[in-house]
Amino acid sequence: MADFQHLNLDEPQFHASAFVAPLVINKSPQRSRSASRHTRQSSSKSMSRRTTSIRSQSQSQISPPLTPRASREALPSAEPQAEFHNYLRAFYHFHPTSTVSSSTDESSITVPINQGDVILVHSVHPNGWADGTLLASGARGWLPTNYCEAYDHQSIRSLLSALTHLWDLVRDGESGDLDVFTKQDYVRGMIAGVRFFLEKTQCLTRESALIVAHVSLRRMRKGLLGDLSSLVKTAKKLQELLQSAGSTLAVFETLDELVLKAFKLVTRAVRFLDIWAQDAVSVPVPFDFDESANRPLTPPVDSADAQIAPATPSSNLGPSEDRTADHAAVVSQASSSTPRDEREDSRSRHPRTRSRASFAFALPPTESSAPHSSSLLSAQPQSKRLSVTHRLSYTGKSQSVRRQNLASERLCAAHDSFLSFISIFIGLHLQSRSSSELLVTTRDSVIACRQLLAVVEEVWERDSQRSDPLEHARATMYSKLSELVQATKDMFSNSESVNGEEVFTPDSGKQLVIAATSCVRAAAECVTKATIVIERIGDFEFEQAGQGISQTILEGINAHLDKDTETGLPEPQETDKPLPATPQEPTSRPPPPPLLISESKPLPEPPAPSPILNHETLHPVIVESPTAVSFRSSRSSLPPLSQLPIPTLPQPSPSEASQSPASATHRFFGKAGRADSVNVSVADSTSTYPNSVRGDSASIISEVSTRATTPDHSPTTRHGDQAMMSSFGSTSELHSIASEETTGLEAQLLEKTFVHELIYNKEGQISGGSLPALVEQLTTHESTPDSMFVTTFYLTFRLFTTPVDFANCLIDRFDYVGDSQEVGVPVRLRVYNVFKGWLETHWQSDCDPLALGIILDFATGKLRTALPAASKRLAELATKVTEVRAGALVPRLMSSMGKTGISSTIYSAADSTAPNPVISKSQLNALKNKTSQCNILDFDPLELARQITIIESKLFCSIQPSELLASEWTKKNTQKAVNVRAMSTLSTDLANLVADTILSLEDPKKRAIVIKHWVKISMKCLELANYDSLMAIICSLNSSMVLRLKRTWECVSMKTKARLEELKTIVDVGRNYAVLRQRLLNHVAPCIPFVGIYLTDLTFVDVGNQTTRQLPGDDGHEGVSVINFDKHMRTAKIVGQLQSFQVPYRLVPIPEMQDWMEAQIKRVRASDQSNVQSYYRRSLLLEPREPPPAVKATPPVESSAQSITSKDRFDFLSTFTFSSASTIKDR
Amino acid sequence: MSQREYHIVVLGSGGVGKSCLTAQFVQNVWIESYDPTIEDSYRKAIMVDGRQVILEILDTAGTEQFSEELYMKTGQGFLLVFSITSMTSLHELAELRDQIIRIKDDMRVPIVLVGNKSDLEEDRAVSRARAFAVSQSWGGCPYYETSARRRANVDEVFTDLCRQIILKDMKDAQVRDYDHRDRRRNQGGRDSGGRSSGRRTRDRNSRGGKKSDRSCTIL
Repeated sequence: MADFQHLNLDEPQFHASAFVAPLVINKSPQRSRSASRHTRQSSSKSMSRRTTSIRSQSQSQISPPLTPRASREALPSAEPQAEFHNYLRAFYHFHPTSTVSSSTDESSITVPINQGDVILVHSVHPNGWADGTLLASGARGWLPTNYCEAYDHQSIRSLLSALTHLWDLVRDGESGDLDVFTKQDYVRGMIAGVRFFLEKTQCLTRESALIVAHVSLRRMRKGLLGDLSSLVKTAKKLQELLQSAGSTLAVFETLDELVLKAFKLVTRAVRFLDIWAQDAVSVPVPFDFDESANRPLTPPVDSADAQIAPATPSSNLGPSEDRTADHAAVVSQASSSTPRDEREDSRSRHPRTRSRASFAFALPPTESSAPHSSSLLSAQPQSKRLSVTHRLSYTGKSQSVRRQNLASERLCAAHDSFLSFISIFIGLHLQSRSSSELLVTTRDSVIACRQLLAVVEEVWERDSQRSDPLEHARATMYSKLSELVQATKDMFSNSESVNGEEVFTPDSGKQLVIAATSCVRAAAECVTKATIVIERIGDFEFEQAGQGISQTILEGINAHLDKDTETGLPEPQETDKPLPATPQEPTSRPPPPPLLISESKPLPEPPAPSPILNHETLHPVIVESPTAVSFRSSRSSLPPLSQLPIPTLPQPSPSEASQSPASATHRFFGKAGRADSVNVSVADSTSTYPNSVRGDSASIISEVSTRATTPDHSPTTRHGDQAMMSSFGSTSELHSIASEETTGLEAQLLEKTFVHELIYNKEGQISGGSLPALVEQLTTHESTPDSMFVTTFYLTFRLFTTPVDFANCLIDRFDYVGDSQEVGVPVRLRVYNVFKGWLETHWQSDCDPLALGIILDFATGKLRTALPAASKRLAELATKVTEVRAGALVPRLMSSMGKTGISSTIYSAADSTAPNPVISKSQLNALKNKTSQCNILDFDPLELARQITIIESKLFCSIQPSELLASEWTKKNTQKAVNVRAMSTLSTDLANLVADTILSLEDPKKRAIVIKHWVKISMKCLELANYDSLMAIICSLNSSMVLRLKRTWECVSMKTKARLEELKTIVDVGRNYAVLRQRLLNHVAPCIPFVGIYLTDLTFVDVGNQTTRQLPGDDGHEGVSVINFDKHMRTAKIVGQLQSFQVPYRLVPIPEMQDWMEAQIKRVRASDQSNVQSYYRRSLLLEPREPPPAVKATPPVESSAQSITSKDRFDFLSTFTFSSASTIKDR
Repeated sequence: MSQREYHIVVLGSGGVGKSCLTAQFVQNVWIESYDPTIEDSYRKAIMVDGRQVILEILDTAGTEQFSEELYMKTGQGFLLVFSITSMTSLHELAELRDQIIRIKDDMRVPIVLVGNKSDLEEDRAVSRARAFAVSQSWGGCPYYETSARRRANVDEVFTDLCRQIILKDMKDAQVRDYDHRDRRRNQGGRDSGGRSSGRRTRDRNSRGGKKSDRSCTIL
């Protein structure tokens, strides 16, 4: 009990805020400050004060990107967003003096950007530099984010995300995963994106008013279609290349080409949008070309230049702001939704906003443009910039391997470990436990909870927006944890115990359980909110922080607990475990990313209000020589570079981890008196924090792996793109390209499509989609649909739709595809083919006839006008289907999945090759003579096995796929799964027959002989690949009623026993039937697998996978839920495996023997209701139970005679029932 | 303590949602797509009282009766699942329990009684008291009510069962230990030590031999 006094969590260092990293104290008056935070701050004043100092210290140390022209204090307090933007757009050009930093390493390339360039961002370094790829040139490198703004517009969003997806696929493709490119699904995403884009801009058709009215838009539209068409061509080329197994080099070249074409397409779309926005839609904004447009004075890489930041005449600021105000008025007229005063308000803080709005977003106000535009930079200083932010990968494939330190992963791991501890905790209190155990569990739970909180804190800190929901969730969780700790303490203080052996009854634990449960609930909420935040701000790496967290907590806890716990478990290892392998050794680190960037490299000074575009000058490079205008720079206040702390590479050695400022050891757990030293340690460890010296002080390896184009890659792509880019330059060129290629594509583009309602998995297969989208996939014109997809659809569509809806959907597809020769005819033919296939091979007479009327109408109506011949055939089929009552027209066996020509040849092969039956005349006669008694010992094991196999195979082969769906066979009230159930019954009967034949004999020796015979039969079953019968026989021989017959087994030979053991390993249930599954993997039909495995698999696919999936939400809305096709694919795969074995054996049936066997089975079934207990009773009669050993019998007597403690009551009870029950049993 | 591996068998008649229970437990919450056909589809590592334990869940879902025994033989702990909406499903468990005890030849085999579908309170057909009485009559095995659909109490059930298995392991080891020691002393020695609870057993282990003698006298 004394132990527990030390777990006093109310001690100052353990108080509330000690467990979570302290919050940032914002010095500027903030509207967003929530009242709750104030409360918490006041509750831990000392902590807060310390935090503040730490924060201000570290902020000055971390060399933040220079805030554009406004000091941090003046930053807007209103909701800055540090969202991670996948796309940025340069609002000012940036040409570093040299693209390579002073080191010779070419991977530290800084890309020059031009105004208007759109950049695909891969990661953002905390210092404000982003690793991005220029869509315009395909060049990749570092670029200053303060020259860019988020690029996002509703109409182009879908195209942009398609591009990101394509990029990710190509990245995966470069690491050898090319499967996805053998299909063209990914290109359809791009097409759908373009379609969506044109639709949104009301330029979809050539006839649309906008297109007719604007020459430039018309041209751009043609150009866009031309680009798209060329992209499609490349994709086709790639497809062909892959199919013809072309050289890897060629493949990679084509991949590059693909990406570049896609980039070009998107760049064009961006230009289109610009023109559209300026020409077509919005009120033209009067621009005055800003002669004083400034340019970045200091190429960021050049460290020498960095210091020569010229004095900035502050006088410039005045006029510029005046202008700003003017424009603000104009803009707010154009985008009228924003209240003017608010606009102006923000304008004065953000002089740049005007130009940005006019350049990139001179559009009617959309939901996104305004907040986004102000987000990028203003957010930076506030967010905790410990590490690089990454774009979340769409495919997530190659990334997941090397990034174990990502916030999302951390969060997940911490939550898991928390759940496991807390569940132990709860479980503990449902039962009576001792205090020491309770102590340990409580501690574990609290530690785990704190770890989770720390991760959440990390996420929260990272998010400059300081997500209120997350904070709230965290606060709730924290208070729940406190309650839990309090409850535990209360319990211990209430119940005093002398020897520390006090047992807590479940009743007293109730409070604890409630507290713990609410803790779990709060944690779940917390994790959900954190995940949302991560999604929004981009995933990031914890670098050392993650390690720091666990380390610190452990240190704190250990320091505290070590002295008081004699139960002390090896704490660090224990609690470390749940966290995913933080790379401990430098060797286990992922290979260093290709790009280098200096931690201390300051961002270039961002330009003043960017030069204004004239409508005519649409070329990206507009300002060739902007006049240098500078603003008050904060750079002068920075120490010269040489004095900057030397960055060092994070060495994840434990010692350093504990030193790093992020590992908040001292902050969290240090004694109050050490506050000073805390600050000191934070101050100097900052410098060593995440970087290491790398050759020269200015460039380090970014610790974070980036999804980089490999260094040798980027130069080539840039080069190769020159030609392509030139086509942009002149409209005439553009025009010529466009006119050639657009026609065909236009038709395709105008096609109504549901592609955006499909979800793909990492392998590029469709894993979900709405019904129209899936039907569309079923009837694509460009390629033969994937056979697995088609079979799955036919097999399972009744599970997610009705035959009537399916038919209607197909007819819709037939309608909306239009009359176009290019697309319409092939698609319509496919629609017909789908109907045909359904009627011919997949018709189910029990439910499908409902759709027959619709199909007939279609066949004789719409189809006749379009495809007369097809119409006739379909009508024929439809009438035929009504005549054939049951099943499909064509035997499903032949046409279904997994079937090849081989199986059908086996099926039709003559029986001439079948082996001769092993049976004598006299045996046959005996069988024929009903009066004579036959025994299984009379027959050859091989022949018995053969006949069993024939009977079983007959049932097995008649199993229809539909029987295997939706756990049909377990539903007792339907008659659907007849064959599956018949097969189960047969197996059970066989098992019972085995038991019966053994247990009906009085003599143990005779029983042994029967056992031997059955072992032989099962050996033969194995040879015949009849695993189902094998399983039944072995199970029966292995059952308790047979196995307990000691005297019998004594008579069984060692050889037989050894054989049996061998067979047992085959049917072993362990590791999910690993042995059996392995055997079945490449088995050639005919074969009767153990059907139970399939049934279990199917059950769990059904139960373990949801019926719907969520489409990724658009515009922050909740996604639409669509059919989880993945589940059905899995079902179909299992059914397909089973079907692949459905081939009859080439064996000669002996009807007499089969009759006899069936008679035996019937007899067994009739006698004793064939239940297990009756066999067991028989077994007991044959070889009665030996008297139980004395030890087992005595305890009840003894314990009842003595006084027993509460915890022994359980034991007493069970032993008592034991003896009584066993007496009954034995009687 | 080294990593242990236990087999847990989930039993119950059809329609009680036992496979749902298994799936919920085995599946990681973050997994989007569950594949039951691979080797570790039913394996999960959990922490029980500070030690990591690997559980392999054996669920006969969808298979015929005869293979059940195979599962029972392999299992070290048993979840007997019924639906609180069906009294029959509870009754059917009695026979299963008999079978387990018969096969394991041990009255004290770790069992947890689980009333599933606790979310369907309005359709409840088995009262808590009734189910609890059954669990008491079964040697006081723990009774839980779960909702596989809402993932309520799912992990708890498995954890509790796992704890029972561990305790039983220790007891058995203790029994063996004591039998051995008793034989070494003389026949007159008290043999009740072997019957002491797992709690005491563990403490004794940590304190050493002398105290263990004393605890025998206490008993």
